[in-house]
Amino acid sequence: MTQIKKSLPYIIAVVGAFIAAGIFIAAIQYNPFEAYKTLITTSFRTPNGFIQTLMKWVPLTLTALAFTVPLSSGKYNIGAEGQFLAGAIGATTVGILLADLPPALLIPLVIIAGIITGALWGLISAWLLYQFNINEILSTVLLNFISFQLVDYVATGPWRDPSAGAPTTIAIGQNGYLPMLIKNPPLSIGVILMILVAIGIYFYTNKTTSGYELVATGANPRAAKVHGIDTRKMFLLSMVIGAAAAGLAGAMEVSGVQHRLIEGIHSNFATLGLIIGLISRGKNQAVPFVAFFIAVLEVGASAMQRTMMIPSQVVLIVEALIVIFILLSDLIKRRQK
Amino acid sequence: MTGIETFLVEFLKLTFLSMVPFVLAGQGTMLGGRTGVFNVAQEGIMLTGASVGFLVGYTSGSVFVGSIAAMLVGGLFGLILAYFTTTLKMDQFVVGLALFFVGTGLSTLLPKLVLGITLTPPLIPTLKNIPVPLLSEIPVLGPILFNQNILVYISVLLSILLWYLLFKTNLGLRLRSVGENPKAADSLGISVNRYRYLTTIIGGMLIGLAGAYLPMVYTGTFTELMTKGRGWIVIALTFFGGWSPLIILLGSIFFAGIEVLSYRMQVGGSVIPFQFLNMLPYIGTIIIMIFTFGKSRVPAFLGQNYDRERRTL
Repeated sequence: MTQIKKSLPYIIAVVGAFIAAGIFIAAIQYNPFEAYKTLITTSFRTPNGFIQTLMKWVPLTLTALAFTVPLSSGKYNIGAEGQFLAGAIGATTVGILLADLPPALLIPLVIIAGIITGALWGLISAWLLYQFNINEILSTVLLNFISFQLVDYVATGPWRDPSAGAPTTIAIGQNGYLPMLIKNPPLSIGVILMILVAIGIYFYTNKTTSGYELVATGANPRAAKVHGIDTRKMFLLSMVIGAAAAGLAGAMEVSGVQHRLIEGIHSNFATLGLIIGLISRGKNQAVPFVAFFIAVLEVGASAMQRTMMIPSQVVLIVEALIVIFILLSDLIKRRQK
Repeated sequence: MTGIETFLVEFLKLTFLSMVPFVLAGQGTMLGGRTGVFNVAQEGIMLTGASVGFLVGYTSGSVFVGSIAAMLVGGLFGLILAYFTTTLKMDQFVVGLALFFVGTGLSTLLPKLVLGITLTPPLIPTLKNIPVPLLSEIPVLGPILFNQNILVYISVLLSILLWYLLFKTNLGLRLRSVGENPKAADSLGISVNRYRYLTTIIGGMLIGLAGAYLPMVYTGTFTELMTKGRGWIVIALTFFGGWSPLIILLGSIFFAGIEVLSYRMQVGGSVIPFQFLNMLPYIGTIIIMIFTFGKSRVPAFLGQNYDRERRTL
């Protein structure tokens, strides 16, 4: 009963956002009921739609964790995009350079390379914060713009695939492809890896001492410091863990989906990751569920644009409204206390 | 004139041309920050300003009407930010980020709704240069400083005006006190909320106009994500400028200089791959932050909401 009472404000917030966006859709001369039907059901009507949803679920969960883990310590990582791309670059580099290794070696190496380069990219911001007290929002965002240029440089350099239209590298060695769970439509074991990471992060933040210190830092940095927690180290640690998750997402997008580095490979994953993190209100354990919901909406959005000609950006408005309404529901709860 | 001289004149002229979005958005950010409202939605507001400024400018046939529309939309964003943070006391970063998303989404959605999906985007006339009589005749300095578009002049005058307002008038003193110590200001009968609303709305208007400058001067049309991080760089700029109008003006010239340099070097054909030249503004900003963050003076209540019912600050 208390569980229902607790989740009621969120349900109202989500429903409210859909109603508000529905009015907007009607105002721009489309049928909101048809639109929502396509939006919600596309993922579940065909196996293909469901697999597509799962494929989006993987990077969305990981980029959202890249935001929520640092947020647990009170820091805002807006750089999942750059960390994702750094991970993709690292994975591609290893996958091309060591293409001849057997799968048992190459697959873990590609993935680990992505995790490490992603973490290092995040470490730059974390270190700037640690050493010079530079606002992490700014440094992570600026590094995103630098990473776009870096991807362009790698994808148009010696590894460029001249037969592709957009800047793209040649494929990584076949031995570096993530094994498939389902052949057709294709789904790699990335989804299992992602679930393990999400569980691991939940375990770390909720069941370990170091994780507890991290959350304590976010809850009240002053009190944490008084009790002997090195809060600045906690900021650093949480930023690097988050960045590693984003790097892993980048590596799996290369190794499990595209098999090469493509300009724009990051899609809108990182922006959605931020939205997912905000809807989860920073709770790591809520992220996979919210991410699945957003993946359903995203797959529905492209179907909606295809069949009904409604611009897919409409969904971004729905998502932003959910964020705002959930923030408002928090406020109402705070007032009631 | 020798080759180097023409290059320098050209370089400086472009730098003053490119400083405008930095000045306008920088002063807008500074204004809100001076009363304690830390706006982080610049990138989104500028994009919406660019989109609306272009669309209204195109449909009305007047860039002036377009700029006014961009300012109104920017002001609306400021009003929403002020309402959520000052009245509802919600976290300023979270609200700012949410508005950044809304602004980014809106900026690409609006052209699709108004113009439909087109292959060749329409163009609006770009702002013309207005030579200042006599002054534009001065050799070297004339073409650099006094043969520019109207917003270049306005942004310089605005910076001087804001400096005077903030540091030489009673109003400015009261305004600054709200950002430094709202409780003390409140006890002196200064309405903290009114000042926060006022500065955040005017700040939003300036940021919206900064966005509209991009299609009005650079491209003649709106392209997706055309701000290219300028909104974020502006936040670094206000820290660099110590939340002070005149130093923000100087900083804008500097940041614009880096931007122009990275373009000029690409046109000039350099050995450095162009992607690394494109990184210059962002790397430059990070390096500047290393040297100025923590050293520059920040309003004491920047980013914090004021609740008069709370016992401690």
